[in-house]
Amino acid sequence: MDITDNLAAVRRKKLSRRAFNRTLLSAGVGMVATPLIGTRQVVAQETEQGTIFTWGGYDVGELYTSYEAANGALPNFAIFGGTEEALTKMRGGFTPDIAHPCNAGLKRWVDTGMFQPIDTSRLSNWGDVIPELVAMDGNDAGDGQPWLAPFDWGGTSITYRTDLFELEEEESWDMLWDKRYAGQLGSLASGGDAWWCGAIKAGVPFGEIATDEAFEKISAAMREQRPLIRVYTDDTTTLEQALSSGEMAAAMTWNSSAVALASEGIPVRFARPKEGALTWVCGLMVHKDAPNLDKAYEIIDSLLSVEAGKFMINDYGYGHSNAKSFDQFDAQTLVGLGLSKDPGDILSAGHFMIPQSQEWETRMNETFEMIKAGF
Amino acid sequence: MTAAPARHIRARGGLHGALHRSKAFRGYALLSPALVVLFVGVVVPFLILLMMSFWTRQGFDFDTTMTTLNYARAVDEPIFGTFLLRSFWVSGIATVATVLLCYPMAYYVAFHVHRNKMLWIILITLPFWTSYLLRVFAWRVILGYEGVINASLLSMGFIEKPLAFLLYSQTAVIITLAHAWAAFAILPLYVSLEKIDRSLLEAAADLGDGPVRRFLRVTLPLSLPGVIAATFLIFIPTTGDYITPALLGGPDGAMIGNLIQLQFGAVNNWPMGAALSIILTLWIAAIALVFVFLTRRAERVVA
Amino acid sequence: MRSGSYITRPNRTLQIYACVFLVVLYVPVLFIPLFSFNDSIYVRFPLQGFTTNWYVDLMGRDAVWDAMWNSVRVGVCVAVISTVLGVLTARAITRNRIPGQNAVVAFVMLPLVIPGIIFGVALLVLLSRLGIPLSLYTVALGHLIVCMPFSVATLLPRFEGMDGSMEEASADLGENGWWTFWRVTFPIVLPGIVASLLLTFIVSFDEFIMAFFLSSTETTLPIYIWSQLRFPREFPSVLALSSIILTVSFVLVFIALWIGRTGLIEKDHPRPPEAPKS
Repeated sequence: MDITDNLAAVRRKKLSRRAFNRTLLSAGVGMVATPLIGTRQVVAQETEQGTIFTWGGYDVGELYTSYEAANGALPNFAIFGGTEEALTKMRGGFTPDIAHPCNAGLKRWVDTGMFQPIDTSRLSNWGDVIPELVAMDGNDAGDGQPWLAPFDWGGTSITYRTDLFELEEEESWDMLWDKRYAGQLGSLASGGDAWWCGAIKAGVPFGEIATDEAFEKISAAMREQRPLIRVYTDDTTTLEQALSSGEMAAAMTWNSSAVALASEGIPVRFARPKEGALTWVCGLMVHKDAPNLDKAYEIIDSLLSVEAGKFMINDYGYGHSNAKSFDQFDAQTLVGLGLSKDPGDILSAGHFMIPQSQEWETRMNETFEMIKAGF
Repeated sequence: MTAAPARHIRARGGLHGALHRSKAFRGYALLSPALVVLFVGVVVPFLILLMMSFWTRQGFDFDTTMTTLNYARAVDEPIFGTFLLRSFWVSGIATVATVLLCYPMAYYVAFHVHRNKMLWIILITLPFWTSYLLRVFAWRVILGYEGVINASLLSMGFIEKPLAFLLYSQTAVIITLAHAWAAFAILPLYVSLEKIDRSLLEAAADLGDGPVRRFLRVTLPLSLPGVIAATFLIFIPTTGDYITPALLGGPDGAMIGNLIQLQFGAVNNWPMGAALSIILTLWIAAIALVFVFLTRRAERVVA
Repeated sequence: MRSGSYITRPNRTLQIYACVFLVVLYVPVLFIPLFSFNDSIYVRFPLQGFTTNWYVDLMGRDAVWDAMWNSVRVGVCVAVISTVLGVLTARAITRNRIPGQNAVVAFVMLPLVIPGIIFGVALLVLLSRLGIPLSLYTVALGHLIVCMPFSVATLLPRFEGMDGSMEEASADLGENGWWTFWRVTFPIVLPGIVASLLLTFIVSFDEFIMAFFLSSTETTLPIYIWSQLRFPREFPSVLALSSIILTVSFVLVFIALWIGRTGLIEKDHPRPPEAPKS
């Protein structure tokens, strides 16, 4: 039955309501059956490619040029909005080939027992990976094999409006504790960023972050900050929107936010606090039951390539783990992006978080949530 | 729905009993597809949840020894009670506001629109075809520090400083929830108002009832099932909502849903999250029962 | 005559209220198309300048279109199935007086109470134990559970208090059950069915937490949007997409209006002609 014929028939009042309803019903049945047909075809195709579980935005062809050249198609993408929900989903039984967590969660991801060490001999680009990024605490799976192949990295610091925020002295973490700007400060909500920044502010060395004394000191700092904060949020879009509208004068963000804001003509600076910024690294881990292990290595190799690195630095403003990627840019461009020709500079100036146990994470998150909630 | 009038059927022998049994059987036959879905999708997960709430967390595994530790914690630590109370407060206000504001609209469509009623109904639901996340961003533009409301109030001279409490506060959560759930109030209200027999209203008028009395004696009681449905449809899900508070609530706006979600996420204490969910369910069930009881009473008093 | 005219007489206050209501309902939503033409990745005033770049940008993004198409397919399936199940449930409960019906209703309503993440995780655990691979079907199953309460709650009041005598009359005339339902019951409950289809479609089209846990590599639109929040520069394209969805739905409604003029929609609610005012 043709729908347009039916509409015309209705208009000419030739078609009874019942007949029309019957058409609707059959259309409904047809629609119900559509996904059935569609999905089957897709599944048949899908099994041949590897699957990567990552944020939206990493599902672009530019990052997988060598993979696409070898396989004639892009990998399959399963996407998430945050690493915590991703871990929860994988614990529930979802099995991609590769996942994309960050160093703050590294030890916990490893502790779930869901991942296998990476055989670096299978990666052609491994030799160019910045060694400082691989040598993170908790990344050694034995036999010189890492759990996580670093991919993108950057700094967590303060992005502030140069026209709204009046610096008292030099740039420092005190800016996010500045009472003059109560209600105009923003912070990332996840303890993975905020708690560590609190530790820098409170002067707790990262090596001692698990002690009771450290908990007390950092808690005190966070409690002091809490009334000044307008919003704790997990997404950078919210913080950037608030900074761009002047709702916030300063906020804890990643370097990419400052780059994006500046490119829109908004007067912002990504602070280099005197106490040092926080460095984050995200990377790729292989599922122990990866259905397409060979493809998994091809995906990783593709992401570690210079082509992917050029895209990451240029389009997203993130650092890339391949040292050669930085050769594609001149020094000035890199400084403008909050990066450097010699990535080691930034890495040594910043603080690397030290992956902690699940017990610590649970305790930290519970404490931080209590503080955020006003207890 | 619990609002359905309870029907007590006295089992009788003989023909009537057989008839009743066959009717019940036919009822179950009709229900069977829904029951299958419910069993797989609701009953089994709920039982898993119930079991889990008596376990405890051990690293990434569970200690399956039965204990009421989680429930004890939920009672002892003030944070849980506070969040629960705040959730009921926020979603209670949002529900009442939504139902009150939507009732006249549904009434208008049911009684005063004579052509293309369905068009009106669809027109009311259209705004909700856009993603909720985007509507939240729109609300930020309206409620923000330099947003539409503050800018216009400032330019009209009503205020001297932007109102900070509009955004990232419980107010923002309530406003956004009321807007987002409008369709969920109007549709059930409209469906029950539409059904009302016009001759009853004429009869009431013939008996000399004025418009107000007529509304209170006929329209309102007859539309109560819709009011109850709307109230539940909004109150129940908004109590457990965690997206709106996370996006618009600010530090003081977090609700019990956020806490539960954290237990399944960052805090990684699934059993505690399960226990909190069970507690939330029990509370809502209790509130729903009281609400139904009260509306029944009100119905009887009015009628 | 006086009473009849009173009830249907145009009420000025209500008319104004209805207009204000619609304006308030639409204003926040209309900001979306407004900003989709704004030459900035940030949603803020003042507007920076007119651009259609975001629309051009959108055209080349297959992932977004795939996600939208997936959402529509899941939404339509879920709306149809949950409404059918809702009709069966509401009918069984109101007409057949079955024992244990309150328990059934309570379980239908349960998913409303419990935050989506929990049912999402619980279902995911269950499905992976059973060895069922994730797909759009599992998303639809999750959405079905979320949507059933909405459809049952909309339909129950319509079925309740429905005059059973008409059905009985039809049955007395020797019509079988299905015929009676189709000819007698269906037209009476049609407004409820339309309401249920609309509500459940909206719920499914906008739900993302269940969809996140139950989807594999095929994403739905809300998951896609949620995951894009890490990259604010993708945001305006999402605004553009939403504006298109909004426009298309308006066009669909006007087509419905066009059909409606012929009396198709009107016929479902026969109404006596208005009495003259006294």
